[in-house]
Amino acid sequence: MSLSNLIDDWSRYRKGREEGGFHDYEHMWGMSIDLNKCIGCNACSVACYAENNLAVVGKEKFEKGQGMHWLRVERYWDEPDLGEERTSEFQQHGASFLPMMCQQCNAATCEPVCPVAATYHTPDGLNAQVYNRCIGSRYCSNNCPFRLRYFNFWSYYEDSWPAPLQMQLNPDISVRDMGVMEKCTFCVQRIRTVKDTARMEDRKVRDGEVQTACSQTCPTGAIEFGDMLGMYDPESGVAETRVTKMWRKHQVELGKTKQNKQTPDMRGYRVFEFLNTDPCVMYLDRVREV
Amino acid sequence: MSVLQHLPLGRFIEAASRGSRQTKQTVQVSFIVMLLMAAMALFSANVNAEVPNAVPPEGTYSGIHVEQPIEFPHDTHADINEINCMYCHTYARRSKVAGIPPTSKCMGCHSVIATDKPRIQKLTEYWENKQPPLWNKVHDVPDFVHFTHEKHIKRFVIDNEDLEVENVSEVCAFCHGEVKKMTVADKVKPLTMGFCQRCHQANDGPSDCWHCHK
Repeated sequence: MSLSNLIDDWSRYRKGREEGGFHDYEHMWGMSIDLNKCIGCNACSVACYAENNLAVVGKEKFEKGQGMHWLRVERYWDEPDLGEERTSEFQQHGASFLPMMCQQCNAATCEPVCPVAATYHTPDGLNAQVYNRCIGSRYCSNNCPFRLRYFNFWSYYEDSWPAPLQMQLNPDISVRDMGVMEKCTFCVQRIRTVKDTARMEDRKVRDGEVQTACSQTCPTGAIEFGDMLGMYDPESGVAETRVTKMWRKHQVELGKTKQNKQTPDMRGYRVFEFLNTDPCVMYLDRVREV
Repeated sequence: MSVLQHLPLGRFIEAASRGSRQTKQTVQVSFIVMLLMAAMALFSANVNAEVPNAVPPEGTYSGIHVEQPIEFPHDTHADINEINCMYCHTYARRSKVAGIPPTSKCMGCHSVIATDKPRIQKLTEYWENKQPPLWNKVHDVPDFVHFTHEKHIKRFVIDNEDLEVENVSEVCAFCHGEVKKMTVADKVKPLTMGFCQRCHQANDGPSDCWHCHK
């Protein structure tokens, strides 16, 4: 089961990459994050906590690196060190932010190492994690170059949602227990709902119909989410989704290790592209006045 | 595999006798048994005679009986009076859950029908106190499973041109058993992953993990 899954996933990916277009996939969910727009407010992270039943682990466990934030906003200080003049931990200028969620790599490093095939690639181009199959070997987390998989070292639900807070849990996603690896799913429960609705109405999924919790919440609209296979929608006349357009405009292509950029000014890049994991999240570099 | 293995025979007779005890019609027992035998003869001739374009899932289960606040007779409603399952479980075709009808729906008929029966009097009491009867859940799938009635009804009933909508209970019986022969619904199908998966394979359903696991 696990081996045949793996081979199927791989041959589907190889075919899509060699022939271009990834037409064997139902969808190819992708993201584009404009760091020019990101103000580092962490609203996306909070939205993710609310949407995906993420446990709040508390300060002590967080300091040990056991936080369960599927979407973390990383801070970088790109102003040179101010030396003695620097009085506080936080510099006055020069912070830049990088929201990091699971990059949904097409050639994911986490998938082949799972001994029980709890993580695999769906025909939607998503890197899936099946919680009730996971045995908690943590190989996937150790093999993830982005460190975007989070392990339940403890059972958090009693502390995290004391009664009656359990009433606010999202019923569309399970509450993970001790010993299970978890990660960003691109809000698969929302994708599933939209796909179900579209199928009931005998139509295709429309552009912008699926919104992840983070892209819905982002106050500046930095995060865009959509299908990258460019679904044609005769109603709105959209031949190319917003995300596809963004990727094409910034000359980033799926299935490439080194992007062939005609215009180097174009800001698009993918994190650790040289590792050839082929992520589905594109970042637009931040431009600032010097 | 033989068809007889899949038929919850004991439960048929049990349900039939239970129904007759309530209605005080002893003639009906022998009638239902005869009907059952005729049906079995029909079944053994062709397994898929009941629902066209579908292979029913395999597997039976004998679970514990779940007590309900009112012993609701499914047989009186669905079998004797031939009320469609989706008349009361109306959400089955448009949402994830089939739903339990509001008490107002019961009272729509039972404000005039069979008001002398003790069960109806109990129901009327609930209705007048503005309290819903707290039904207990019989068919429950684990929290990590995503199941929609909507899509299954679409596949087997709405998109199934050869199926008469009056026969929808045969589709429901795939996973719920012959509820129309029971009084209070019992769980007679295992509803395990293997049970789902066998049916998905036989009927070309999706086999992707994330279609059902959340």
